[in-house]
Amino acid sequence: MEGRIRGQLLKGTTTLLVLTVLRDGELYGYEIAQRIRERSGGAFVPSEGSLYPALHSLEAAGALEASWQASDRGPRRRYYKITKTGLGMLREHSQEWATFSLGMARAVGGADQ
Amino acid sequence: MTVDLLAIPLSCGFFALVVAAVLLVRRSERRLGRGPGAPSAPRMPGPDGGTDPIAAYLDRMSGELALPAADVAEVRAELAGHLADSIASLEAEGLDRETAIREALGRLGPAVELGRQIRAAHQSTRRLLAGAGGGVFAAGGGFVLGYIGGGFAVAAVAVGIAALMAGLAAAGLHLPDLLQDPHGIGGNSILIGLTTTIAAWAATRYAVRTSASVSHRTPHSVAVVWAAAGGLGFGWWALFGLHGYQSWSTVAAELCIPVAAVAGAFVRIERPLPHSPRWAVVVGLIAFIVVPLVLFAAVGSSGSGSGSGQAASFQASDLHLDTVAPMAPAQWLPDQIMTSGADADGASGATVINAQRISGQSTLPIAPLLSNWRDLRFESWHALPEDEPGPGGIDTHYTSPFAVQPAALNGESLDATFDFGRLRDAGSWWVLLTAVGPDGHRYRLDEFGYGGSSDFSGSAWDWLMAPQ
Repeated sequence: MEGRIRGQLLKGTTTLLVLTVLRDGELYGYEIAQRIRERSGGAFVPSEGSLYPALHSLEAAGALEASWQASDRGPRRRYYKITKTGLGMLREHSQEWATFSLGMARAVGGADQ
Repeated sequence: MTVDLLAIPLSCGFFALVVAAVLLVRRSERRLGRGPGAPSAPRMPGPDGGTDPIAAYLDRMSGELALPAADVAEVRAELAGHLADSIASLEAEGLDRETAIREALGRLGPAVELGRQIRAAHQSTRRLLAGAGGGVFAAGGGFVLGYIGGGFAVAAVAVGIAALMAGLAAAGLHLPDLLQDPHGIGGNSILIGLTTTIAAWAATRYAVRTSASVSHRTPHSVAVVWAAAGGLGFGWWALFGLHGYQSWSTVAAELCIPVAAVAGAFVRIERPLPHSPRWAVVVGLIAFIVVPLVLFAAVGSSGSGSGSGQAASFQASDLHLDTVAPMAPAQWLPDQIMTSGADADGASGATVINAQRISGQSTLPIAPLLSNWRDLRFESWHALPEDEPGPGGIDTHYTSPFAVQPAALNGESLDATFDFGRLRDAGSWWVLLTAVGPDGHRYRLDEFGYGGSSDFSGSAWDWLMAPQ
């Protein structure tokens, strides 16, 4: 698909993407995947197989809290909410990503020149 | 009666430990659920009437989770919800149901790999450490709770047996004294051993259930660790830590402790712990404090027996002393008679038997008397129990002494030390001084000897290593 980012590049970004979309409010797994897709304009489509291990790992680390809630579409869903620890983690990952992307832009831009 | 002030904070500490451990275990039980044997969600038939591919996928994924039952159920429900959304979305895009299911499952990737990744996410090192700490804490609370409950259970059984024995005795049926416990303290040691056995079982059970829940692992996967820790810890305690009266029955009861600890970690460990009503916990804890105080006030202190010296009121012939050896002929043992006594060795607690040559009130030189004699020794023989009617004396069922010590000349007395408290089955004993006379036969030099009774006192290891 044109405009989609390769899976290898997405590796390691799932945590940042998940924390980013959850900063705006509680979501359940399927919604998180959809929200990432929407916010990136379809550029990021996280592997659903890696999404749930990432969510459970963040929950184990205390970055997320999960609770079962009734859903307006179908059965009860497991909603995830970002915690104070998660917000701190999000700041760190955002800074790392900014540094990385700036460096990459410089390096790739320099190569083009 | 004085109450040690330390008992108050200790009791409060035990109380707090038990309450916290019970709360922790109750919370753990919710996560562990009913175990893998619990019925799973009903399977939906597939489009072709065969096995539902979604349920089959979730089954394969669940097989890799190795998490507590409640976690497995949550992961399954979460992924089932995800698949339902994903399939509905794909069907809305125009795919038929079968293709939509295949596509949705494909997006999640291989079931086995997904299960492994979710398990790895759950079973972090942090949770493992928390599980270990929680397990130790729960083991402490479980031990105290098990000790309280076990104490009541064992006491109830003991009362029942005592009532049965009394009933049989009233009916004229006397059972053999299996405990052979002349001072009545062997029963206490057995009660303590059995109570501790129940407590050890509860301790490892609580530890496994709690650490499995907190570390997000199955009880089976952590049971090996707790069985090893419980077996070694309680095994060490049973062998070396529990000191007191010992016999075959008490050692057997004490060796049950590590076995119970291992069994508590393994046997049907997936089964939930029995739910104790809150009132039962409160009543048990109050009883744990009140009952010992009442018993302490009622029983008081009792001394341990040794050295009765009851021989003085009987003739030598009443005591069957000829079983040991005939009395020395008067021509080889002039009018002065050897008399024996006993002292406790202050350092070791052993019994020091001594014999002196006394005429009237004076102690005479002993060396001249011994010129006719060689191989002087003190012999300890099994004696009739002190609490039986009659003068006591040598138990004629035995034909040899159970302990022999050479008589060492110490000033004007002959001494030998017997550590009756470290001799198995010493029970009631009688000690006599014997020697080989000029005719080559062994005689006893002391007319009466000295009697008493002792209980083996030490650890199970001491008893197992003690000479027969």
